[in-house]
Amino acid sequence: MNSSANFYRPLTPANVKRIDETARQILKNVGVKITDDVYLDKLAKLGTIVDKDNGIVRFEDGWLDEMIGKAPHRYTAYSRDGKNDLHMGSGEVYFANGGRVFRILDMNTGGYRLTMLRDIANTAMLVDKLDNIRMYFIACQAHDLKPEFYHLNDFFEAFNHTTKHVMGGCTDIDGAKQVHALASMIAGGDDNLAQKPFYSIITNPISPLTIEGNTLSIIEYCTQRGVPITCAPATIAGATGPATLAGTLAQLHAEALAGVALAQALTPGAKVLYGAVANNMDLRTMELTMGSVEMGMMNAAAVQLAKLYDLPIYGTGGLTESKRPDIQAGFEKNFSNLMVAMTGADLIHLAAGMLDSGNSISYEQYVIDNENIGMIQRILSGIDVTDDTLALDVISSVGPGGNYVMEEHTVDHMMDQFFYPTLGVRSNFDIWEERDRPNMLKGASDMVLKTLRDCHECGEGVLDIELTAEIEAVFPQIDNI
Amino acid sequence: MSDYKALQEAVLKGDIKTALEQTQKAIDAKDVARDVLDNGLIPAMDEMGDRFAKGVAFVPQMLRAAKTMQECVKLLQPLFAEGDITSKGKVLIGTVKGDLHDIGKNLVAMMLEGAGFTIVDIGVDVSPDKFVEKVKETNPDIVGMSALLSTTMPAMPETIEALKTAGLRDNIKIMIGGAPVTEKYATQIEADSYASDAGSAVAKAKELLGIS
Repeated sequence: MNSSANFYRPLTPANVKRIDETARQILKNVGVKITDDVYLDKLAKLGTIVDKDNGIVRFEDGWLDEMIGKAPHRYTAYSRDGKNDLHMGSGEVYFANGGRVFRILDMNTGGYRLTMLRDIANTAMLVDKLDNIRMYFIACQAHDLKPEFYHLNDFFEAFNHTTKHVMGGCTDIDGAKQVHALASMIAGGDDNLAQKPFYSIITNPISPLTIEGNTLSIIEYCTQRGVPITCAPATIAGATGPATLAGTLAQLHAEALAGVALAQALTPGAKVLYGAVANNMDLRTMELTMGSVEMGMMNAAAVQLAKLYDLPIYGTGGLTESKRPDIQAGFEKNFSNLMVAMTGADLIHLAAGMLDSGNSISYEQYVIDNENIGMIQRILSGIDVTDDTLALDVISSVGPGGNYVMEEHTVDHMMDQFFYPTLGVRSNFDIWEERDRPNMLKGASDMVLKTLRDCHECGEGVLDIELTAEIEAVFPQIDNI
Repeated sequence: MSDYKALQEAVLKGDIKTALEQTQKAIDAKDVARDVLDNGLIPAMDEMGDRFAKGVAFVPQMLRAAKTMQECVKLLQPLFAEGDITSKGKVLIGTVKGDLHDIGKNLVAMMLEGAGFTIVDIGVDVSPDKFVEKVKETNPDIVGMSALLSTTMPAMPETIEALKTAGLRDNIKIMIGGAPVTEKYATQIEADSYASDAGSAVAKAKELLGIS
């Protein structure tokens, strides 16, 4: 348990209640649009109030509470090697990279290019090696693939380059089926996979208050096979949500609760994360600003809203408007990652690697953010106050005028009290000069090259070579790189 | 000639109700429709344009002013003489097949409408056949296609193909946009233009039709 999580509270308890009550009114009176007749019929049978003519589903309070009551408060997002099993709802705050961008800042050219399949393999390798990025998100679009086999190839490269839990989106049910079949082969069968699912699927409602039939079919398919999901609204204040932060939070909360409730109605007990990807428009230009300070505030507030129902949350932080790993990127990312972490989010996605308002990634940014997240984890672990850490004995024995350098107490605690940066430059001026003036970005670039080179040198892929051959025989559409 | 100060203020505020009342007042006072437009509405929109350019007005204010002006123009419509008002051009716009995201498309439509284009918005999840049918029906100058998902982008070249097959491609300009769409993609699928956001969509549309 992180002792300093649950520290930041953008909303008072009374305002959490007001937002929640508003969201419940939205669900009861305005409702959610479902764009599929089959699901409208199904949901009518499952107890929602369905207005078939307008394709609207409304949720009575009692029904909503009953459904949300079925959602697990805790579950584990498994890794394949057991080293990074993530316990959602345990009070731990986990950070992950972020997803499905279109462009990458290419360290070889210094310019931007479209993302390719190799970028998924490379980012998965980076995340595998970066200790503070605890699960891997399918990082980008593979522009060198045909759309019908995106997901099969995305997830194959992810599984083949990290043993950490993998999370990604599927745009259709075929993609969800392909990924499940692939994961099942790796797990050694559907039952093994259902017992310890090592991937999760992300879906999204369309704000305001719309859920596609396609999305529901993915949710149903995954949850019935034990695969955890989220249905995370990416509500844009000023465009797809009200311009007020409170109004956008009320709508987002309604959308997120609808996602949880519908998943439970379709599959009681489904492993689901309450999802929140709040952001806003810059109303001067109508540009989406995922890196705004309000994004951090709203996503932190969303943690309070999820926790009102004791639901684990798929939170959001770490975004920036900047196009480069620079000063702006540093402080924008840090604001939201820290705020959302200090509210106690279970999972903070988009926390590493992102640039360009969520549209681009950079390998360097992965390693820089990993270090920043290390500092945030240090903040979360707090200041430990015990007889031993208060150190009265050692203060007494050293006494006035002495020093603590050689004390056993110092050696005992030097590793557990301090965060030691890998990339952050710490040296006195003369040494800094001698070392040819190191800086963080250069260090990050070197670290990326070294990590990727070492990974390549130790052989392609973490999946067993025979299994890979079997997978390729079953799925000729996989373009193993 | 009447003083249009109250009308202009209402347009600048985006207060449709007051603007319509003021327009009706001018009509009742037998003002020439063209004067209401030239001395009342257009100077207000020019002022809004200035404020927007200076950064003191934001997009929602500009769109509301444009909407208010359009409502007033509708009221004046029956009173205009031949040639008093001209549309900048007609834009048919939709989100492509398989894609239900419409905020980007709606913003582009609002901005274009604000800039004086006539908009035919055919909604979301629009199949290539539906694009063809609506182009035949409404005869637009520009067809705009939007996609948010990289998986629905291929519906853009499919639609262009369908327009070609129907013999409509040469009569229209095609403009595309959406988060995953790029200039290069536009070139690749032989669209005529790509706009990265709603603001530049207006500039691109004007460029396509050779107007300023």
